[in-house]
Amino acid sequence: MTKQMNGAELALLNSAFEGVVRKMSNTLLRTGRSGVINRGKDFSCCIVTRGCELLAVADSLPIHVLSGPDMMAEAMHRFHPTLKAGDAYLNNSPYHGCSHPADHTIIVPVIDDAGVHHFSVVAKAHQADIGNSEPTTYMPAARDVYQEGALIFPAVKVQSDYEDIEDIIRMCEMRIRVPKQWRGDFLAMIGAARIGERELIELAREHGWDKLHMFERQWFDYSETRMAEAIRAMPSGKVTGTSRHDPFPGLPEDGLTVKAEVEIDATEGRIVVDLTDNADCVPSGVNLSEACARTSAMIGVFNSLDPKVPKNAGAFRRLDIRLREGCVVGKTPHPFSCSISTTNMADRVANAVQTGIATLNGPWGMAEVGAGLAPSLGVISGIDPRTKQVYVNQIMLGFSAGAATSVGDAWQTTAHLGNAGMCYIDGVELAELYQPMVLRKREFLMDTEGAGRYRGASSTVVEFGPVRGTFDVGYCSDGHENPPKGVCGGGVGGKSDQWIETRDGERKFLSPIGVNPVGRDEMLIAVSTGGGGYGSPMERDADVVAEDVREGWISSERAKSVYGVVLSADGAVDAAATAELRRL
Amino acid sequence: MRFATDTGGTFTDLVVEDDEGAIRLYKAATVPSDPVKGVLDALTLAAEDRGMDLPSMLAKGELFIHGTTHAINAIITGRTARTALLVTKGHRDMMIFREGGRLEPFNHAALFPKPFVPRSLTFEVEERLLAGGEVQTGLDEAHLLGVIGQLRAAKIEAVAVCLLWSTMNPAHELRVGELLAEHLPGVPVSLSHAVNPTLREFRRASSTAIDASLKPIMSRYMGGLTQRLLDAGFAGEVMVLTSSGGLMAGQDVAEHPVRIINSGPSMAPIAGRHYTNLDAPGSSVIVADTGGTTYDISLVRDGIVPMTRELWIGEPILGQLVGYPSVDVKSVGAGGGSIASVDAGGLLHVGPASAGSVPGPVCYSRGGTEPTVTDASVVLGYVDPDFFLGGKMKLDHAGAYAAIAEKIAKPLNISVELAAWHILQLATQNMVQAIVDITVAQGIDPARSVLIGGGGAAGLNSVFIARKLGCETLIIPETGAALSAAGALMSDIVSEYSASLFLSTASFDFGKARAALSNLRSQCDAFAARSGADAGSTDISVIAEARYENQVWDIDVPVPGGRLDTDADVAAFREAFDRAHETIFTIRDSGSQVEIVGLRATVRCKLREEANFRLASEEGTVDRPATRKTFFEDSGWTDAAIHYLEKLPVDQDNHGPAIIESNFTTIVVDPKATFRRTPSGSLIIHP
Repeated sequence: MTKQMNGAELALLNSAFEGVVRKMSNTLLRTGRSGVINRGKDFSCCIVTRGCELLAVADSLPIHVLSGPDMMAEAMHRFHPTLKAGDAYLNNSPYHGCSHPADHTIIVPVIDDAGVHHFSVVAKAHQADIGNSEPTTYMPAARDVYQEGALIFPAVKVQSDYEDIEDIIRMCEMRIRVPKQWRGDFLAMIGAARIGERELIELAREHGWDKLHMFERQWFDYSETRMAEAIRAMPSGKVTGTSRHDPFPGLPEDGLTVKAEVEIDATEGRIVVDLTDNADCVPSGVNLSEACARTSAMIGVFNSLDPKVPKNAGAFRRLDIRLREGCVVGKTPHPFSCSISTTNMADRVANAVQTGIATLNGPWGMAEVGAGLAPSLGVISGIDPRTKQVYVNQIMLGFSAGAATSVGDAWQTTAHLGNAGMCYIDGVELAELYQPMVLRKREFLMDTEGAGRYRGASSTVVEFGPVRGTFDVGYCSDGHENPPKGVCGGGVGGKSDQWIETRDGERKFLSPIGVNPVGRDEMLIAVSTGGGGYGSPMERDADVVAEDVREGWISSERAKSVYGVVLSADGAVDAAATAELRRL
Repeated sequence: MRFATDTGGTFTDLVVEDDEGAIRLYKAATVPSDPVKGVLDALTLAAEDRGMDLPSMLAKGELFIHGTTHAINAIITGRTARTALLVTKGHRDMMIFREGGRLEPFNHAALFPKPFVPRSLTFEVEERLLAGGEVQTGLDEAHLLGVIGQLRAAKIEAVAVCLLWSTMNPAHELRVGELLAEHLPGVPVSLSHAVNPTLREFRRASSTAIDASLKPIMSRYMGGLTQRLLDAGFAGEVMVLTSSGGLMAGQDVAEHPVRIINSGPSMAPIAGRHYTNLDAPGSSVIVADTGGTTYDISLVRDGIVPMTRELWIGEPILGQLVGYPSVDVKSVGAGGGSIASVDAGGLLHVGPASAGSVPGPVCYSRGGTEPTVTDASVVLGYVDPDFFLGGKMKLDHAGAYAAIAEKIAKPLNISVELAAWHILQLATQNMVQAIVDITVAQGIDPARSVLIGGGGAAGLNSVFIARKLGCETLIIPETGAALSAAGALMSDIVSEYSASLFLSTASFDFGKARAALSNLRSQCDAFAARSGADAGSTDISVIAEARYENQVWDIDVPVPGGRLDTDADVAAFREAFDRAHETIFTIRDSGSQVEIVGLRATVRCKLREEANFRLASEEGTVDRPATRKTFFEDSGWTDAAIHYLEKLPVDQDNHGPAIIESNFTTIVVDPKATFRRTPSGSLIIHP
């Protein structure tokens, strides 16, 4: 038996593992073909152990990885008991560990010369199209997986001996729109996974597989210690947080409230999140896959903890997330649809957890992050009049949604909870070059911030339309009736809205979901949600409020009525009048 | 005589080349409040060394090359001009949206960055062009005059203009520039299509805003530098190092300050290329420059120094994206001053926090209490506390030992020397990881490259870095301690011109390509004529920014012969592109079209004939012990032979353990490695 590694050796190997994941991500970003990958960066890479536990992530979208890669690897083992070097598996099945069908995931088992499996590397990327019945990867109105229409791959072998299994590729090419684009993205994902495989084998050459497995055990123990410590710094208590989703097809007429019961045991250093007391699955695309249910609860917890705690299976030992079979925010059985599982309900779960924790006494938790997905984050499709070619792609034209926390103002461009601001935003010129469109306006709206001691994000407005021709935009916009709530006295952030502006300038309100055509000379106007504020706005530093006014985030009227700050004609704080107003 | 100075955070390096071609190094403390004083101090040292007074030495000078951090520091410390940004209507929040992205999803204490130009100083211009450059909405001049009135009222000191698609059609930007010149005379203006003609409006706006904001301060700085050199007796030519690794006439800096943002670090690869050509020609090169607080890595691939548009001032995402092409230099917070600590879970950390030069490592006895990499080197016996910088500074061994014992060895429950060893190894790992990150992005295999160790602290762990990377050859040049300043003496006068355009192999527009190339070439020729260079010493090369269809991250690919006139030219370019893409990403996609989104022409005018750049030999002898006890994990405490670099016999093979010292640096060779001094004066180590 080899001796234990010390803290220095552990740090060394951790850096090496993270380096492998960064190398994978870099490859995927720079070689991907669809905008959602190479401009939006809507993808994640990670390493799981041979025991199917999450070991290393870097640079990833939280909703993609915290839980899911573990279950997807389990499915690979279950269906393919004998793994060989050169294998690659495609998994996008929400019934087998994937987040939702749009996130095609390539898993490559890393096998040594003796044929022994040691780790699995995972590359997951949101696709521009997956062959749904409509040209969008988000199908909130789908009754079930059949109406949704995507090809579902429950850990299906797509490479053997490092060669593609062409049958599978041909099936995809017959079903997925713009097959060449999909094929390019597939190549990029395979490339990323193969680079991870090569690097791990190289790492083992230097250190030996035994040492890497020893690292894995000790790293999990270390992470668990850090997690327990972080929880011990919080007060014990049991709270229930809620968050309400807007009415959608298949949901009750007044929307659906998600409830999360959070129990913090500071003495033991453990947290329980119970999601079992929620509605049953619904005939809609909003049901959560088990991966997303688990992960969204974790996001709410990690948003409330010391960020230095490593995110891996070791830390997760201190978390008990209770889910129910057949629950809309639990384990969704086939054939219920999980089409929009990474965004809408998942965001509500994480919001319920973190706003619940915020009701504890102390600087914990976070306000509500705004809801997705406005049309400015929609899936656009059509025929490009310049080339006569069909195109389909998720655009990332504008978003905000960030919530204020106990330590500061919101990260404006958070997009939604599961994304946490990791995605890129399309440049105007790149968007107009790659799609036949014009982006008339993109800006933040005044007086839409979640007011508070710390400010939630302001809503964004994006106005765009076709240049020549027409296009369709698919989206599923929550947050119009239930805009993001503040916590600890913080205010509500701006609500979402969407209109069509006709060629004679008339504005028509659009349904919050659907695939909507935008005609020649028409403009789609998309307003995203803002984010909730933290603490009473009356406690916000008056000079900072003056700066907010000077910079156009809030009006001087709002500074006075909501923040209790009176400004003089030159924009400086009128200290006496402010003190008077704030005393009331 | 020629002088090259590089003003760093801690030291101002000076390299002097006399008329016989021998060079000498000098270091003076940088004076942050008056950087020119640090330069003059270093020059005074050089004069004293020659037994001359400063004016007599400077009178012999024909060329003064200056690398400066003045521009970048002005941005970091917020001392730039009050700058307004003019943008297309509807897009005033360009600098707030930026390109999105975030580094740490759960770290809410890392706050959303403030825009480089605040919203209150961003103004909209009524106009709009479409993707092809056609006018959708004409420029509303009456409205613009109103905006200019607001600028005047707001006491704006510089103006940046970035209109959408101005790279395809600059008419609106040019007209805005005319009206600004007319109605706001004396206020410097930067137009985005001229500053940085590239697609991606945020990057263009950012480089333009940075450029405008630096014009007043860099105009003053260059004026002051030139005048004070003149006052001190220097009548030669003043040139400044650019971010792209060339020289620019001092009087041009105020017109294009964004071009010298990365002045200094851009020179290390030029020196690295020179030394590799002498001792290991044909190799790819990794140049690592170790300072007190940062570790700068740059590369040479096939003799070319790779460039990047992703230079950040400050941290990525949280800082400012320059967006202007610069030599690809990756900086990480790792150096001699990096602080070691053990967290509550028992894990060792080294850096990125640094003790800097004040208070500095514990062993500097300037009040530092946190153990650093330098302290670890003292404990391991690598650095002789009585012979640091040739004995100019005494170090406190006992203090370093006690700090590591208390703060590292005790919580890790290991011996003090092992703790020191691990500190150095973790610092090494951080540096190795940084090298891996930049080489993967540029498609260079470290195992097939030469590592060049530059900077005063490079010798402490470069052997370990090279071994971890699998490099077979490590070169420590004799001028390694002042690598950037040395590189400055080897560089050419360079100017770059670029054009943004769209070409595809699907249906190649020869007319468009020819027009763009001929325009670039005539700009290059005009520059060469201005520089007075003759045709024989002028070189023009063309780079295409290209990608496969539907990709958005382009790579730099040299255009063979600088020509895209015929089908054969395009085929040759296509082959060069496929090869480059395969090198960088391991994938070649012959089935996809190749798109060109930009062309960049570089004109280089040789300043001089090749010289050998040898260090002048030191006189006298140095009295040093023959061996010293040093610690390595595998062999424990071992007697290492001590050599003095300049006295080491040439072409003689030696083996570790050994310590090679000079007045500027200490090089550690562990028991597994062999080393040799080459006729070029470099130390070659095989790990």
